[in-house]
Amino acid sequence: MASEQPSRIRVTEYLDLDIDREKWLCNRCNFEIGPARESYKKGCLLHDRDPREVHPPLVSGDFSFSPDPLWVRIVEFYCPGCGAQVETEYLPPGHPLTWDIEIDLDSLKERLRAGEFKIRKQRLEVSE
Amino acid sequence: MPIPTLAEKLQWLKPAPATPHEIECAAKLRQGDYEIGVQITNDILDEAMEIFVRSSRSYFGVSGDSMVAIFTAGGDLINASCGTYLHAIIQPIVIKFILKYYSENPGIHDGDIWYTNDALYGGIHNPDQVALMPVFHDGKLLAWASAALHTTETGAIEPGGMPVSAKSRFEEGLNLPPIKIGENFKLRNDFLEFYAVYGLRAPAMFISDLRARCTTTDRVRARLLELVEKRGPDYLVGLIRKMQDTAEAGARQKVKSLPDGKFRAVVFNDAIGWTPALVRSCFLTLTKKGEKITFDFAGTSPENPSSYNVHTQAVVGHIANFMYEYIFHDLPICSSTFAPIDFEFPEGIILNPGKLAATSCCVFIGMQARNATHNAFAKMVFSSEKFWHQVAAAPGSQHTSQICAGLSQWNLAVSDVLSFSLNTQGQGGRSGTDGMDSYGFAWCAFGRAPDSEQVESELPLSVMLSQHWRDSCGHGVHRGGSGAVQQWMIHKMPNMVSMCMGNGSKVPIGQPLFGGYASSPIPGISIRKADLLKQMKEGNPDLVMDHRTIIEKGTIHGDWKFELVARTPKVYEEGDLLFGFSGGGPGYGDPLERDPESVMDDLKKKIISDWTAQNIYKIAYDPERRKVDIEKTRQQRQEERKARLARGKSYDDFQQEWAKKSPPKEALLYYGTWPDAKPTGPVFRP
Repeated sequence: MASEQPSRIRVTEYLDLDIDREKWLCNRCNFEIGPARESYKKGCLLHDRDPREVHPPLVSGDFSFSPDPLWVRIVEFYCPGCGAQVETEYLPPGHPLTWDIEIDLDSLKERLRAGEFKIRKQRLEVSE
Repeated sequence: MPIPTLAEKLQWLKPAPATPHEIECAAKLRQGDYEIGVQITNDILDEAMEIFVRSSRSYFGVSGDSMVAIFTAGGDLINASCGTYLHAIIQPIVIKFILKYYSENPGIHDGDIWYTNDALYGGIHNPDQVALMPVFHDGKLLAWASAALHTTETGAIEPGGMPVSAKSRFEEGLNLPPIKIGENFKLRNDFLEFYAVYGLRAPAMFISDLRARCTTTDRVRARLLELVEKRGPDYLVGLIRKMQDTAEAGARQKVKSLPDGKFRAVVFNDAIGWTPALVRSCFLTLTKKGEKITFDFAGTSPENPSSYNVHTQAVVGHIANFMYEYIFHDLPICSSTFAPIDFEFPEGIILNPGKLAATSCCVFIGMQARNATHNAFAKMVFSSEKFWHQVAAAPGSQHTSQICAGLSQWNLAVSDVLSFSLNTQGQGGRSGTDGMDSYGFAWCAFGRAPDSEQVESELPLSVMLSQHWRDSCGHGVHRGGSGAVQQWMIHKMPNMVSMCMGNGSKVPIGQPLFGGYASSPIPGISIRKADLLKQMKEGNPDLVMDHRTIIEKGTIHGDWKFELVARTPKVYEEGDLLFGFSGGGPGYGDPLERDPESVMDDLKKKIISDWTAQNIYKIAYDPERRKVDIEKTRQQRQEERKARLARGKSYDDFQQEWAKKSPPKEALLYYGTWPDAKPTGPVFRP
């Protein structure tokens, strides 16, 4: 598991943010995923998964309890260090990947510097 | 015509600033006055809600898909009993419209009963109808009371209140802008006749629900006046002011405590009316800065010529459901909690259609704004010590909305929706634990599944099985809650007309969170000329009433049909069978991290199948004794992680292949331009 660092916070179940170094890190193995001013997805390994492998058809035909693989795919994002499945997106094939997290790092640093936030157990706590 | 504009609606969502008199009254509150006063309003509203549920007739009413509320004299919401939060933030639009346009003519007087169901004027969609009454004391308007409830009939071109084939508002039946339907505490007979004729498919339900709304509203009004008689009007004014100030301060404090930034989510819908069609049903950019959050829906697919469009305030209503369930759960249900929240709706998107648009099936699209909000908020609040434990994937929201119409076994005309498969959806997986199994209705957190025997009594059908729907949940370290399945047999009458609304047959509805998987799609399933009754009469010892066995092995014989869940009205004969499903919740986190014993527990409870335990969770176990082989499980999971590393591509390599792909052209009929979902031309409506 990740070590306690004063400038490191959890942003998702598998993604930590090192605020001082402006880096995305894997929460499970500390792998440095990439620069925090960009999408963490750029530092992951990606796989286009046929949704029928996860939601197998129970009957034959077009309506089988299984997603239509021509309409939707599962894009799986893995940590290159440990293979943790950091994120998944159900997207139509070819649909742009979502830049889902764009934290305002400058604001965050300023609020920490000003004492508005403190980091405790890798979470942001509002100072009393 | 003073149809409210988008700017007016968004402005009316915001609470009015405090007046000097209100501030003066609030300052006069003594120690304990506020706390006791808040509780009195809670008690008034809860009492009224009890009356509402007991006096409603439709299954939505019986299930509690309703809201009772108190507003300021100016129309701002100050507290509510829910039911559903759908109406919570948006009803001020209706009252502020009445105050602005009808104060002079026809005038607002003590004993008035106002009514509306028109989404163009601030509602959700036309089955959702609300009665409102002004609360006067000594000739002075002190407050408003309301009661809102979904009634499953509107006299539209199809039964059930949500006509799937409606292409414009003119095919939706009753669309009633705010109108005075009663004076001097009496409903007008001429209005009742006008109203009743829209409910001819189910007159008893239609009129009973109207009266239930009015009775409930009047109870709130009467109780508020009792409070005023006891404590004086200034006490109520001061109490209301302080409730608003406290709620707003609480909301601003919560918002401020979150990190600034932009957080995005995208979700897709797979049906427009009866037509399988992909749309980018919500592209949400959430911008958090200081004490403000802005929801921007730019990038969402264009409006379309069906009833699968949502007027803007109805989108806000769906978001209120999320906000009050997860973020503002400890704040009063009050307009001022949304003071720090702004909305931006580009014109002509499916979430902001033109005035002529049909929106009766808006909830299928509106829910997706809620689903996107779950994901965007999760990524905003997970770093917060205060909020990370409130992170949850969206609720299961695909379902079989089966409408039944015809004659009951008592020869009464009926038209209603089978609410079991609405009110038993699975909650999304949560940051600390699984989603709740069959937790409720994604549109109405406090809704409950109606009693099966009551359903069997009032509709021409029998319920043959009610079970958790195996493998409906999204998988993850914390799986989504299980959905459920019912099987209905047309029974005790020769036939019944049935149709179905819905989505989620081709594409799972709702994105998972943090590496989990989405929940299972649902087909529409029917068996005509089914031999189930025959098998039961003959006492077939091999007949197993397990939904997966029946579906996978075809143990009930007849004419099986698997199709899109949304189905046109058809006549079904006695003995025919229909299946109804409620969606499971999407999963949270990497399934390879799920505790193996929890997987065994899921097997024991028939929430998942052996296939899932072995292939998704990679558990090695003795299937007979369900004993986990810990070491082999560890090895299997490690092998899967290695396989991921082997098959995973770098971002650039992935993009090179991915960017060349697209869905089939026929899927993009209503999507807009690919992939950015811009309008391709004007929408023509009859």
